[in-house]
Amino acid sequence: MSARLWWPLAWRNLGRNRRRSVITAAGLAVGYFSVVAMVGWFDGLTADMIANGTGIVTGQLQVHAAGYLPDRSVYQTLGGSRGPTLDELLQRVRSDPAVAAAAPRVYGGGLVSSGAATVAGVFLGVDPERERDVSRLLHTVVRGAAPAPGAREILLGAEMARILGVEPGAEVVVVAPAVDGSLGNDLFIVSGVFQSGLADLDRTFALMPLDALQAIMALEPGRAHEIAALLPDPWQAPVAARRLVAALGGAVAVEPWTALRPELLEYAQLASSWQWIMLVIVFGMAIFGVANTMLMATFERRHEFALLLALGAAPGGIVRSVLYEAIALGAIGLALGAAVTGPVLVWWHNAPPDLTPLFGEFTMIGALVRLRLRVEYPWVMMAQGAFALFATAALAALYPAIRAARVPPADTLAGR
Amino acid sequence: MRRLLSGVLGLCLLGASALTAQTPREIIDRVDRLLRGESSRGTVSMEIVTEHWSRSMEMRIWSLGTDNALIRITAPEKDAGTATLKVGHEIWNYLPRVDRTIKLPPSLMGDGWMGSHFTNDDLVKDSRLIDDYDITIGYEGARDGVPVWEFVLTPKPEAAVVWGRIEEQVRKADLMPVWARFYDDRGNLSRTMTFSGHRTMGGRLVPTRTVVQPADKPNERTTISYRDLEFDIQINPSFFSLRRLQGGGGSGQ
Repeated sequence: MSARLWWPLAWRNLGRNRRRSVITAAGLAVGYFSVVAMVGWFDGLTADMIANGTGIVTGQLQVHAAGYLPDRSVYQTLGGSRGPTLDELLQRVRSDPAVAAAAPRVYGGGLVSSGAATVAGVFLGVDPERERDVSRLLHTVVRGAAPAPGAREILLGAEMARILGVEPGAEVVVVAPAVDGSLGNDLFIVSGVFQSGLADLDRTFALMPLDALQAIMALEPGRAHEIAALLPDPWQAPVAARRLVAALGGAVAVEPWTALRPELLEYAQLASSWQWIMLVIVFGMAIFGVANTMLMATFERRHEFALLLALGAAPGGIVRSVLYEAIALGAIGLALGAAVTGPVLVWWHNAPPDLTPLFGEFTMIGALVRLRLRVEYPWVMMAQGAFALFATAALAALYPAIRAARVPPADTLAGR
Repeated sequence: MRRLLSGVLGLCLLGASALTAQTPREIIDRVDRLLRGESSRGTVSMEIVTEHWSRSMEMRIWSLGTDNALIRITAPEKDAGTATLKVGHEIWNYLPRVDRTIKLPPSLMGDGWMGSHFTNDDLVKDSRLIDDYDITIGYEGARDGVPVWEFVLTPKPEAAVVWGRIEEQVRKADLMPVWARFYDDRGNLSRTMTFSGHRTMGGRLVPTRTVVQPADKPNERTTISYRDLEFDIQINPSFFSLRRLQGGGGSGQ
């Protein structure tokens, strides 16, 4: 008999015990949904972690004077007397096709004091307008407002403000060693309080206008320690960094987030390696379910197979018939799975259920994690999952098919 | 910073009897106490040289025992009036530009004082070396023709100290320190203090010049030189107050 005959036969056999066929196909569909949704959720979690780990303050790409990292010496500045000015550098960074926004920053360290309370902190001098486009720190202001350019105003982390016992409008003393060796100090008004959710940041960071920090640190205007850039697609950062190195010359160093936050990259790679393990586990379990069903089905049809063999059908044909049946079952399973998975992915991608009321927020490798069922579309896994589903169905049917082809016709027909 | 103070604090305990000291513990204690005193007043200049900048400061210093000290910068003009008050284990800084006083948090004790290579901890540390360290003689003999001891100070197991080891060379003739080397807990040299300009000041023999050199930055150093020193002056603990810190000096005491 030809393959054209075995296909309809296999298909019709699925209809003999519809309930069993539907349950088995549903099992495969659930397996497909589980793998694709779980991988999508992992991808979503990874994307969230990268977005939070780089978006709150780091940015997806940074430009420094060569040698600034890792010691962050305050003397290593961009926009010096040699080479391009800070504005030129900003312009060139922004002109990269992967870069959406760029902002200059000055870093310093020192003390903030109010009354009898004094805390040591990291000072970040920013251009508030540009910084808003690059990082989310200025979007996390919970009381008051961001510091105004040109004003002696300071935005404190929530924990720092709590330790100092100050609220917006209060006066604080800021002390920072200046680059000329003197002890820079000035009075600042607390413009607001931010709460990023990252404990270290909320305890140690204070933001002030770029020019105010430059003045207190005796840095010339037009000098900064860092240009941070926003890249809507963070995975473009390494390529953009290579382009910018070529465009900006050797006096500056350009670091993508993958170099600045290697732990985030490692997590992303680890999460990606788990996808295969999940695929193997889920469909590994499904194999036994399908195999059991197919064994039952072929056992029930022993007489039929014996008759076919007695009439001269080739054993290979029997094997093909059972395998085709399993593949047809796989097709139904995939159709069912895709019908459920597709809409759910669209829903969870666009309006993810928020699980933070149940589990709260937590910090993992320096990134704020909110447990939401937000998924990224796992296109590759959707294809791999479909392939794995058919492979599972075929593999699971192989043993029952071989057994079916080896039914002894005479003994079986004689009821022995 | 303790050495800065200690030079000023005086050598009041150094007398003829010191020269009869025999054991390493007694000798180190005498040198250690040589750099402390009951009370003192003096003028000091400090020169700081770093890779990126150099600056000089003049300052007046008052001290009482190991608990109280007041340092007021008098020059350059930009820093004049900036003052540091130490009472017990606490340090306050007065900033004349903003007319405010700030108290240093404990986490900053390891940071440099006014950008120098002396730490705030040097300023507040007031325990005696013999309480925290076991002392042995590492070398005894002549160096450049001068008879010296070189002592090795190893922290006692229970001592809460920052150094893993201290080595100190002391001249036999007058018990004057020549240098001290400070090692971290991994045995790496961290900084070296060199004492020179030994001469009589305020009626006592003192090393009038101390140079601190961090081992990891050989081109950097902080030098303090004592211009004048007075010992055993009449000064009350009430002198060391926040009001005095802000108020400009206490020239009367």
